[in-house]
Amino acid sequence: MASTFKPLIKASRRTMFYLFVVSITVMIITPLFFLISLSFLSTDASYSYPLPLLPSLSENYELTTGERGYLLSLEQRNGEYKTMLDTDDMEKMAVYMKTRLSTPISIPELEELTARVDHEGTVYFKRRSDLLNNYYTFFQITRDAGPAFIRSLQIAGMTILISLSIGGLAGYAFARYTFIGKNLLKFSTLFVRMFPAIAIALPMVIILAKMGFYDQPIGLSLVYSIGSIALTIWITSSIFMGIPESLEEAAQVFGATKFQAFLRVTFPLALPGLAAAAMYAFLGAWNETVSAIILTQFNPTFSVVVYQSLVGATGQVNLAAAGGMVMAIPSVIFTFFIRRYIRQMWGGMTI
Amino acid sequence: MALAINTERRRKIGKQIVPYLLVLPVLFYYIAFWARPVVQQLVQSFTSLEGQFTLNNYIMVFTDLNFLPALRNTSIIVVFSVTLEFFIALLLALLINRKFPGSGIFLFLTMIPMALPAVAVGALWKTGLTTNGWINSLLTYLGILTEGGKIYWLAGSIWKLLALMIIIDAWQVIPSIMIILLAGLQNIPKETEEAGYVFGGNYFTVLRKITLPLLSSTIQTAVILRLIAAIQIWLIVIVIVGFSRMPVLVERIVYYHEEVPRLTISPAMASGYTIIVTIIVSIAALAYLWVSGAFRRKRKEV
Repeated sequence: MASTFKPLIKASRRTMFYLFVVSITVMIITPLFFLISLSFLSTDASYSYPLPLLPSLSENYELTTGERGYLLSLEQRNGEYKTMLDTDDMEKMAVYMKTRLSTPISIPELEELTARVDHEGTVYFKRRSDLLNNYYTFFQITRDAGPAFIRSLQIAGMTILISLSIGGLAGYAFARYTFIGKNLLKFSTLFVRMFPAIAIALPMVIILAKMGFYDQPIGLSLVYSIGSIALTIWITSSIFMGIPESLEEAAQVFGATKFQAFLRVTFPLALPGLAAAAMYAFLGAWNETVSAIILTQFNPTFSVVVYQSLVGATGQVNLAAAGGMVMAIPSVIFTFFIRRYIRQMWGGMTI
Repeated sequence: MALAINTERRRKIGKQIVPYLLVLPVLFYYIAFWARPVVQQLVQSFTSLEGQFTLNNYIMVFTDLNFLPALRNTSIIVVFSVTLEFFIALLLALLINRKFPGSGIFLFLTMIPMALPAVAVGALWKTGLTTNGWINSLLTYLGILTEGGKIYWLAGSIWKLLALMIIIDAWQVIPSIMIILLAGLQNIPKETEEAGYVFGGNYFTVLRKITLPLLSSTIQTAVILRLIAAIQIWLIVIVIVGFSRMPVLVERIVYYHEEVPRLTISPAMASGYTIIVTIIVSIAALAYLWVSGAFRRKRKEV
């Protein structure tokens, strides 16, 4: 009797376990799902309540003669048509359909439709939604978003260059040599890494201004490198430790100099680790906001632009969501590639 | 074997100049861009506008009406979020503690909230907590709110807002602490726990006497790292609550630097608050280094 129940109990325990895992996943995913969905909603839909769960891929319209010209109505979720606009200005209608309803239409197309209205009375038509409309609009209407995006990439690029060149050398030294002061330096890198960004950013205003780097991308990448050098040392030293020194020695036996041996043997093997360090430096620079607010004035980074769009009560939630998504996508992608390192980092690191 | 290591080490120390050349750039960089600004900041905080030594900057911060609330709010967020997050994460990790098909994807998904940039998290909850936001919409779809019913999340007392901040932080942080603890749990050899059961321990005694002590270093480092991050909470507070309504320490710095930069007291206030945050975080950082064994190892080698 018991033996017939055993698999049943086992199966039900397994089901419980998976239900548990799935419910955790749902808790994590739900807010993200709404952010993604919201970033695709048209402005009109994002003001409706309750918010639609998914953006509509196309909209059904009704066009008829109105008091001031032509009356445009949009089919709602309950199947009824809601009046949106009454105008005889086709340009105005085209702009409205693009910006409020995320269904771009050309003026000739509209004129063709109104001609049919004049002829047949009421006309029904369907337009495909432009799901990326909020993303374009965010870059168009948010002051500086485009240049700030490029600037953020420049800053991240320079941060990678500075921290990989300086931190990589030290990482190699940590992996291959014993020297006086090694522990003190290890200790300082960890301490510097945990030091609050704001404590460096504030006095750096004056220092960077003297150097002519205030409000310049290079200034911010100098600040970001302080933190990412420590991480680069940590990652690269663990990489170099994993590459046996005997490989380099073997190359030297075959006539290569120490430097050639490093370049031809160790460096290629270390490339994946260096890429991880580069991605980590990218994440640090890309995600950071507080130093960027303090150290920029007319040339903000992309994260500052999104931050300002959130703080300034513009109220366009779908645009804020699109801005947040543009910030999030590179971070999530790079995190995927270096998830192993990041997990170790969160658990605490020891060089 | 020991001899081999010794000669190896001597040979390495023999080529002394190379490692110093390799670490020299880091040293210069830290002196120029870390030590210098920090020292300048410290000196400036004791200097009056006329260039004399003064304690006024600190007195001004300590007598600021928002100082104690900021300190209190920050402490509440830190204490509650870190303990709550840690216990829930531990519970989840203990319940999940096994390999299962799809665990790879699950582990990556759990990393996403922490990997998100602060501004993206701000956008996420800002769009959720407005009265027409996605949280109320979701509750309506689930039938918890009646048609047209709304919850005013951001209205009401500061305690409610603090609770919201703690919940948002929990959403972001619990999954990643959970995977850290999960990794720690899976590093514990099965035999040690089995031995506990063999000697008559039940689940809880084994947990208390064997599993948790073996996890302790993972737990300590994770908790202190979280502590350091939680002390510096600011962006989500400003995005959700706005300036000054629920002051926290770093929010004050941004406030004096960005919102009211023209006030004569602003530079002094910003720098005063910065020093206070720096001191608190530095103490936490030293605690981390002590726990992670940075001091111990040093003593052994010297």
